Amino acid sequence: MPKLHLRRVAPVAVLALALLALAACGGDYPNSTFSKNTELNDGAVFIWDRMMLLGTIVFVVVEVLLVYTIFKFRRREGGPAPRQIHGNAALEITWTAIPALILVFLAVPTVRTIFENQRKAPANALQVEVIGHQWWWEFRYPEYGITTANELYLPIGRTVNFSLRTRDVLHSFWIPQLGGKRDLIANKVNYIWFTPKETLSPAALNGACVEYCGASHANMRFRTFTVTAADFDKWVAHQKTVAIGSPAAGAAAAAADSAAKAKPAVPVKTASIIPVAAPAEPTVPEAWVFPADKLPAYAIPSTPMPATAFDDALLAAGDAKAGRELLMNPANLGKAPCMTCHVVKGETNYATDDNAKGPNLTHFGTRHTFGAGLFRNDARTLALWIKNAPAMKPGSVMPTFGVGEFNPMIKQQVPAAAGLDDKQIADIVAYLRSLK
Amino acid sequence: MATAAGAHEAHEHTHYTTTGLDNRKIAIWAFIGSECMLFGSLISTYLVYKGRSVVGPLPHEAWTSPAGEVFKPILNIPVTSASTFVLLMSSLFMVLALAAVENKGKAGYEGLLGSSKFWLLATAIAGAIFLAFQAYEFTSFVHEGLTIRTNLFGTTFFTLTGFHGTHVAVGVLWLMSLFFIDLKRGLEPRDAILVDLCALYWHFVDVVWIVIFTLVYLIQ
Amino acid sequence: METSSAIPTHDASEQSGIWSWITTVDHKRIGILYLYTALFYLLVGGLEALLIRTQLAKPNLSVVSAETYNQLFTMHGTTMVFLVVMPLSAAFFNYLIPLQIGARDVAFPRLNAFSYWVYALGGLFITLPIFFGIAPNGGWFGYAPLSGPTFGGGFNMDFWVLGLQILGISSLAAAFNFITTIINLRAPGMTLMRMPMFTWMSFVVQFLVVLAFPVITAALFFLQFDRFFGTNFYEVQAGGDPLLWQHLFWVFGHPEVYILILPAFGLVSEVLPTHSRKPLFGYNVMAYSGIMIGFLGFGVWAHHMFAVGMGPVADSIFSVATMLIGLPTGVKIFNWIATMYGGSLRFPVSMKFAIGLIAMFTIGGISGVMHSSPPSDLQQTDTYFIVAHFHYVLYGGAMMGIFAGIYHYFPKITGRFMSERLGNWQFWLNFIGLNLTFFPMHFSGMLGMPRRIYTYDAGQGWDLFNLMSTAGTYLLLVAGLIFAYNFFKSRVSGAPASSDPWGAPTLEWSIPSPPPDYNFAQIPEVTSRYPMWDLKAPDRTAGIEHSHADAADIADAHAAPMHEETERRTAKELGIPMPFNTIKPFLVALGIVVMFSGMIVLHMGKFPLAMATMLGGGVFMVASLYAWLTSPLE
Repeated sequence: MPKLHLRRVAPVAVLALALLALAACGGDYPNSTFSKNTELNDGAVFIWDRMMLLGTIVFVVVEVLLVYTIFKFRRREGGPAPRQIHGNAALEITWTAIPALILVFLAVPTVRTIFENQRKAPANALQVEVIGHQWWWEFRYPEYGITTANELYLPIGRTVNFSLRTRDVLHSFWIPQLGGKRDLIANKVNYIWFTPKETLSPAALNGACVEYCGASHANMRFRTFTVTAADFDKWVAHQKTVAIGSPAAGAAAAAADSAAKAKPAVPVKTASIIPVAAPAEPTVPEAWVFPADKLPAYAIPSTPMPATAFDDALLAAGDAKAGRELLMNPANLGKAPCMTCHVVKGETNYATDDNAKGPNLTHFGTRHTFGAGLFRNDARTLALWIKNAPAMKPGSVMPTFGVGEFNPMIKQQVPAAAGLDDKQIADIVAYLRSLK
Repeated sequence: MATAAGAHEAHEHTHYTTTGLDNRKIAIWAFIGSECMLFGSLISTYLVYKGRSVVGPLPHEAWTSPAGEVFKPILNIPVTSASTFVLLMSSLFMVLALAAVENKGKAGYEGLLGSSKFWLLATAIAGAIFLAFQAYEFTSFVHEGLTIRTNLFGTTFFTLTGFHGTHVAVGVLWLMSLFFIDLKRGLEPRDAILVDLCALYWHFVDVVWIVIFTLVYLIQ
Repeated sequence: METSSAIPTHDASEQSGIWSWITTVDHKRIGILYLYTALFYLLVGGLEALLIRTQLAKPNLSVVSAETYNQLFTMHGTTMVFLVVMPLSAAFFNYLIPLQIGARDVAFPRLNAFSYWVYALGGLFITLPIFFGIAPNGGWFGYAPLSGPTFGGGFNMDFWVLGLQILGISSLAAAFNFITTIINLRAPGMTLMRMPMFTWMSFVVQFLVVLAFPVITAALFFLQFDRFFGTNFYEVQAGGDPLLWQHLFWVFGHPEVYILILPAFGLVSEVLPTHSRKPLFGYNVMAYSGIMIGFLGFGVWAHHMFAVGMGPVADSIFSVATMLIGLPTGVKIFNWIATMYGGSLRFPVSMKFAIGLIAMFTIGGISGVMHSSPPSDLQQTDTYFIVAHFHYVLYGGAMMGIFAGIYHYFPKITGRFMSERLGNWQFWLNFIGLNLTFFPMHFSGMLGMPRRIYTYDAGQGWDLFNLMSTAGTYLLLVAGLIFAYNFFKSRVSGAPASSDPWGAPTLEWSIPSPPPDYNFAQIPEVTSRYPMWDLKAPDRTAGIEHSHADAADIADAHAAPMHEETERRTAKELGIPMPFNTIKPFLVALGIVVMFSGMIVLHMGKFPLAMATMLGGGVFMVASLYAWLTSPLE
């Protein structure tokens, strides 16, 4: 037998656990569940701390007793026969009563916190509808008429009340840094609310689906941006507008233009990429999103890219106008049926928000990621995605569009007649990225 | 099934047992315990879904389809009351059948009262009549537009009563095999355990029906 | 099963060959069949875990595809619960219960063989699809509507639904059998409160099976009807409620946890007193706490559902009920320690595993209490913290207990010792490997890593912990290989063991190792809780209650005063009637599995073939059953 005695192993094990604990307390943990960023998490952390304290006491008592017993009473040659004790009522009552007492200290704050967390949200709370889809997130701000996907903006200091629904299977909504999760259940509306504390500084936080929901459960992520109230207002003002370049934008701009003759129009920061020769310089509020240069590393996806080939030279030459024509002209629906599943506010829509199979793309160009937090929103990744989405995200409902690409869902190659070539994809990419 | 197998298993009348009871008697009680949980789940599911059907036909209320077609309340309580009565009577016959086997040859058990064959057959026939009622009910529901796929009511109703009907059918088969054993070699008091096991099962199935009848048919 | 001539075996004298194994109705041989089959599935489930952990070793790996991963984690859970831990417990139920209560067999020996064959064939039914890439992929919990026809098309979940139905038949049949056995076949004087603690815990488990399995049977029928017949139980369009599935599943699922852990508690309660030379501390409380755990186990199911939005009242009730269940569990831990305290401890491998259970289960128990508080649980549920928790319970608890049982009872089963040297290697590698695998999962969970994800992004702060977990899994593999080597080598050439090699207190040690097929030539009369110590170390049992059984019972059972049996004679020589070997239970089981397979064919759209398969299987089953029921047992 190897001379691996407990007395030698135990300290090593204890040391290892201690190091592990230290490692967990030190490093950079962007999804820690212990951040007291909301009142919801305050409650969770309070109870956790108490449980950890009581649990550690119980753990230490049990293990110390156990280890002591093992060493103290090991059999010795010629040792006395053990005293035969069959039980001890007083002792047994004691070690039932003490844990019972410990549980009281746990149960009372637990029940109190349960009722606190599940009160009705304050009436002035920001309402956000969360709708789960296999495998992406739809976020709606009914007060502002905004529908967006996979990127959630929350104002610091204002309570937000989420109502949670699902379009298909069960999902679960979770932003570890902001508080507990809540399931999205068919035929039921669930709620969860919390307040990002006044004292927080603007941050990008990760969120995820935490109820197993099929093939790409692991790929159903989202970003939450907690921003100042002022920035949030700017974001709202911009997001509620129709898509740039859409006929509605043109009309609205024309109307606004005449109305704003007295005031100088606010130029759009990204005017250079406005693809369509708009009738007049539109007075769309300045686009504001969480600044890309402030994105922490953990919020920038590093999902591996597929081996799909793409002629990168075409991307620079992408023609947004041609891309828009591909999408909006009903004649192209066979090849580029994008608008049967996606909504772009102000454009010709075949779907509505309530039956769209894919994310609302109205201000797609302002998003940092796409594919439910899987990919950086850059031209090349987007082109690969349009070319063969199921190859990048298992089970993706979005079909393979690239000519000659193999669609892993239906196990077929896309024939030339039914698919898009790289040039067309580059044009569509240009259009989508112009949707600021 | 498993217990039916176990119930006939042992030929150990002479073996010592701790309680003095036949092994099969204990096994069938355990089996009935599990059956309680099975029917408990089926009945709870029916109750949970009560009134949650998106479309009709419905059990106790009339329903007009979007196309304007009117569906009457579908449950026919008088007819089912009759079948319930038959099933209840079968339990009485079952008691008499067991008594006839246990007391075979004793004073007061001559003639019809002591004819286990008659009472076993009567119980089986009553069970079969109940099944016939159920077959009639199921077919008429289907004709009236309610299948197991139609709505939550159809799904839970057919599943619950179907499971019960299957249990009655198994009971009828059991009774018939006892009847044939009786025909072939005659059941003696020492065979009472065979009838006793079947009787426990049969009464259980009966009691379940009382619960189903009350919850599904009577309470609106 | 022995090949060495030094050790007489009942097989050598009376039966051998594969046919004797297929037709056996001997509870001991059925126990051995359960043991081998479950160990095989342990290898399968372990390899599944290995692939899972390899895929997760680093962020963004693609060792296996998402679909494969989902099948792997579904099958890992399903395999470990239904094909490994439950059958390993069943192996001990089969082997030990009749021996511990002084019986010659279980109440229904042929039903017992039937249970095994349903399990063995059902296990194949649910496992084989993985080789065709169509294994179940909806999680071992099969949440609707993902497991339903609308979102879970294909054959994958068909195999799961039908497979679990088949396995349920096995568990239920076995439970009826053991309940009857324990109630009715105890030797004279073996009152309930004199039963060995393993038999006690097994007794509780059988009731849990009888009351919990019908609930999942109903839930599975609903799902099966939805999938095959177009019913609406979990169909969202028709107003179906996915939470119905969750409630039914967990009403079964939580008692199932105790079905998995209580037999291990029982085994440890046999090992500790033996190697402490001291009786179990607080026998009554140990028995009652087992009953309490079983009872409370039915009232806590919704703590698996704190995130579904049940409302504050339900959350509070289930939270407090869950905390309560910690009390009887805690009592067991303290009583085990008190059993050792003041004893004269010896540390063979079985004792190390038993102590390992106490040490490791405590961690799982404490983290379990942590989940009982919804505000905190909502940060933990569906994360790796939960994975850590229940692996401490099931690996650190159930598997440690089962290994303790295997090392403890191996000499009884084979007449040989397992190697202590290899056993120590296995124990320490297991101990370190288990902590290295599962302890870091606490951290990855608390740091926000969701469960059931086949990949994760870099930079989330989870890399180190995942790498540690993966490394630990490889250690566990090495430990498992050492165990397998030890097991098979010791079977052939281990040191010979006497009938009572450990000096244990209970009846199974009063007969030769391995026991003759009739177990007891003469049923012993039991006068106290520790009959073997009464015989060999009466000073140890002086303090407990002794009384004689009813004279009529003793006469009825032809019982003899408590004695050790050393002679090895055949049942024929002794005039003990033995049940005939029979193939019929196997055939009935086969018929059932064929019948269920017909449902798969139905899903292929081949209606006539499906009907033929189901009818064929059904007729075959009924015919075999008829033959079974009309042929005499002995």
